[in-house]
Amino acid sequence: MAVEGSLRPGGQASQLSLNMKLIAHHELAGFGGIGEGINMQKARDGRRILWMAHESAPKNFTAVDVTDPRNPKLVVQTDLPHADVRSNSLDVVGDIMAVAYQTKKWGLKPAGMDLFDISKPEQPKLISHFDTSGPCSRGAHCVFFVDGEYVHLTSGSPDFEPTHEKDDQFYRIIDVRNPSQPAEVGRWWYPGTRKGDSAPPPPRHPKFDGGYRPHNTNVYPQKPDRAYIGYIDGGAWILDISDKTKPKPVGHLQYSPPYNGFTHTVLPLIERGYLIISDECVRDNGEDWPKLTWVVDARVESNLVPVATLPLPPAESFIKRGGRFGSHNLHENLPGPCSFRSETLIFGTFFNGGVRAYDVSNPLQPKEAGYFVPGTPKLAPKGSSQINDVWVDENRLVYAVDRFGGGLYTLETTF
Amino acid sequence: MTVAETSSATTRDALAGLIPVSIITGFLGSGKTTLINHLLKRPEMNRVAVIVNELGEIGVDNELVQVSSEQMMLLNNGCLCCVLRGDLQETLRELFIKRRNGEVIDFDRVVIETTGLADPAPVMQTLITDTLLLEQYRLDCVVTLVDAVNAPGQLNQFSEPVKQVALADRLVVTKSDLVAEKQLTALTGRLNEINPKAPVRVAINGEIDLPFLVDVGLRSSRARLEEVERWLGADEDDGHGHRHDENVQNFVLRFEKPMPWATFTQCLEVLTALRGPDLLRVKGLVNVEGKAGPMVVQGVQHLFHPPLELAAWPGADRSTRLVFITHGIPRQTVADLFSAIGAVTANRRA
Repeated sequence: MAVEGSLRPGGQASQLSLNMKLIAHHELAGFGGIGEGINMQKARDGRRILWMAHESAPKNFTAVDVTDPRNPKLVVQTDLPHADVRSNSLDVVGDIMAVAYQTKKWGLKPAGMDLFDISKPEQPKLISHFDTSGPCSRGAHCVFFVDGEYVHLTSGSPDFEPTHEKDDQFYRIIDVRNPSQPAEVGRWWYPGTRKGDSAPPPPRHPKFDGGYRPHNTNVYPQKPDRAYIGYIDGGAWILDISDKTKPKPVGHLQYSPPYNGFTHTVLPLIERGYLIISDECVRDNGEDWPKLTWVVDARVESNLVPVATLPLPPAESFIKRGGRFGSHNLHENLPGPCSFRSETLIFGTFFNGGVRAYDVSNPLQPKEAGYFVPGTPKLAPKGSSQINDVWVDENRLVYAVDRFGGGLYTLETTF
Repeated sequence: MTVAETSSATTRDALAGLIPVSIITGFLGSGKTTLINHLLKRPEMNRVAVIVNELGEIGVDNELVQVSSEQMMLLNNGCLCCVLRGDLQETLRELFIKRRNGEVIDFDRVVIETTGLADPAPVMQTLITDTLLLEQYRLDCVVTLVDAVNAPGQLNQFSEPVKQVALADRLVVTKSDLVAEKQLTALTGRLNEINPKAPVRVAINGEIDLPFLVDVGLRSSRARLEEVERWLGADEDDGHGHRHDENVQNFVLRFEKPMPWATFTQCLEVLTALRGPDLLRVKGLVNVEGKAGPMVVQGVQHLFHPPLELAAWPGADRSTRLVFITHGIPRQTVADLFSAIGAVTANRRA
C-alpha cells in the first residue's frame, strides 16, 4: 500500500497511541521541562503528590496534586539560585525528599544534594545541604533514595580529581539516617578514572565520548547488598555493597563500542534474575541511533548476557519527527506506597518515541503492550515532544513528562 | 474504563490490548455498504479502519473524504478507508505497521467488508494463523446481513449464505420493509434453525443499534460472566427436540469435571483431522485440570486460536462448555469422541 502524504489528521508529529489513553495534561505553569527525577508522595493528609525535578534552570522542582488524576493541581514550584545549576533528579521517602544539584562548570555552587522536609507539600523546608562542590566537581547528577537511610548518589567530590574531565562523577553512598548531617560511608569509581589510580584511564568512546561516570545507581530493599549502576560509557555494573564502605564489582557488561555508549539505568528484575538496561539517546535527529533498552540475563551475575532489546518502531519514521529518538528513563519499580512494581511489565521513555510499555514475561521475545506519543507541544524547540521520564503508580496510571515544554501527561493503560 | 477500574495488575492482559476486528458479511445486495456507512456516522466509531474491496464500493459521500490516495482515504470523521490489496493478511499487517509508524490514524477497530460471495471462514482464519496479526488483533464479531427479500431463496439454493449465517455472531435482517410480517417471521425462524446462538435483529432503514454489533468477542482475560455469556451466545440447551437445519448442526457439550489438556487437544486433533472442513465453528471454555481459570478455545474449521487462560472463572459454573456449529457432524458423534478419548486418557493415567 503506497500511501503518499499523511493519512492522519494533524500531520507527522501528531499524537500516537496504543492501549494508553490521555486522561489529563498539565503544562506546569509554563515551565513544562522536566528532568529525570519523578516520584510520588502519599502525604499525611492522604493527598497524592507527584514531585518532579526540572531539566534545567530557572525552576528547581514542581509538585502536583494528582489525588484526582483527571484534575491535577499545581501545589508548589520552586526556583534555582542561578542559571548555571540544574536539579534534574529527586527521590521521595515518606516526608523526606532528596534533590540533586549539578552545575555547568567545575567549582560552582550550589553543587551536591539537598534534603527537604515535605510533610507540608506546599512548603518544602530545607533540612540540609550536602555540598559536593570542588575544584574538579560539578556536583550531583542523580539521586537514588528509597529506604530512608542511604542516598546512592552520582556526584563529584572536592577530593576527587579525574583523569579525564568528563569522568568527574562517581558512585557515593551517603548515610542520611540523621538527615541534618548527611555523611559519605562508601564510594566506588571506574578503575583508572581518578588521578593516582593504578589502572590506566579507560579508552574513550571512538564516536561519542559521553564520559565514564555513573548515571543511575539503583539499590533495592529486597536485595540491599547489590547496587545496579549504569556507568554511561563504562557499561552496566553490579556492585556488592554488603560492606557499604567497600563496594566490590561482581558483574559488568560492556557493549560499547560497537554500540554508542551512554548506559543509563540498570533495572533489576530481582525475582527473575534479569536486568533491563536502558541507554540514553543524547543526540538529535538519529545521530547516535541505535540507543536501546536491553533485556539481560543476570542469573549468573558474573556473566551478564544480553538476550533481547525492547522493540521500537522504525527509526527512520521517528527520526523525522525531530529531536532525540531512542531509549532513556525507565519506571524503576521503586518501593513506596504509590509505585507500580512488576517483573514483567516495563515502562520506558523514548523522547519523540513517547512513553512505551513492554511485556517481558518471555525475556527472549519482549512485546510491545502500549505507547503514547504526544503531539508536538506548543513552542517545542525540537519540533516534537521529547518524553523524558515516567512514573507509574500502583493503580497503573502512567505519568510521563516532557524534557522541554510539554509538561505532565497522565495516561490510563488498557492492556 | 474509569480511573477506579484501571487495572493495577502487574502483568499484561493478553486480550485487552488487541484491536477488535468486525467482519461484515452477507450476500450481494444485502446492505453491507449501507450498514457500514451508518456505523461510520456514529460518534463512537470515529477511529475505525474499514477494509473494503474497492474504494468506490463503500460509496462514501465525497464531502466526507478528507485525504485520499490510491488505496486509502481519510474521512472527515477520522476514520480510515482502505482497499483490500492482495490478501487480507498483508493488508492487516501493513495497517498495523503504518499505525505504529504514525503514518495512519490510531484506529481502534477494524471493520472488514467481505465480498458478497465470500466464505467468511478464511477471513476469520487469517486472524488466527499469522503470528503478527495474533499479537495485534482479535476477532470481535462476525455480522452476517440477510436480505429479507432474497435470502429465503438464496438459503435454499446456495451453500455460501447458509455458511455465512452459521458462522455469524450476530444476524441482521435488512430490507424488512419490502416483505410481509409473515415472511419475516419465517425467515427469522429459519435463521434460528441454522444458528440458534446468534441473536437476530431487524435493521430499520439500514440502521442497527451499535451495542448489538460491538464488544461481542472476549476483550479481557479478566472477563466478567456477562461478557463470557455474550460471547458464547444464548445459554440454551443443545436443542434436543429442537428443529435443526438439515445441513448445519448446533450444539453445546458440557463436561462437569475438569479434563486433562491432553484429552481436549486429542479430541480436537481427531475432529479436525477427520472432519475439519465440517467443523464450522467451535468456541467455549474448558476446565483444565490444574488450571486456576478456564482455557478459552475458539476455532474455525481446522484452525484454532492459540488457547488462552482466563485469570479466573467468571461465575460459579465451572463446567466445560463448548459450542459447536458443524456441517453434518451430530452432537452424539462429538460427545462419543470426547468420552472415548477421555476414557483412554483416564486409563492411561491409571
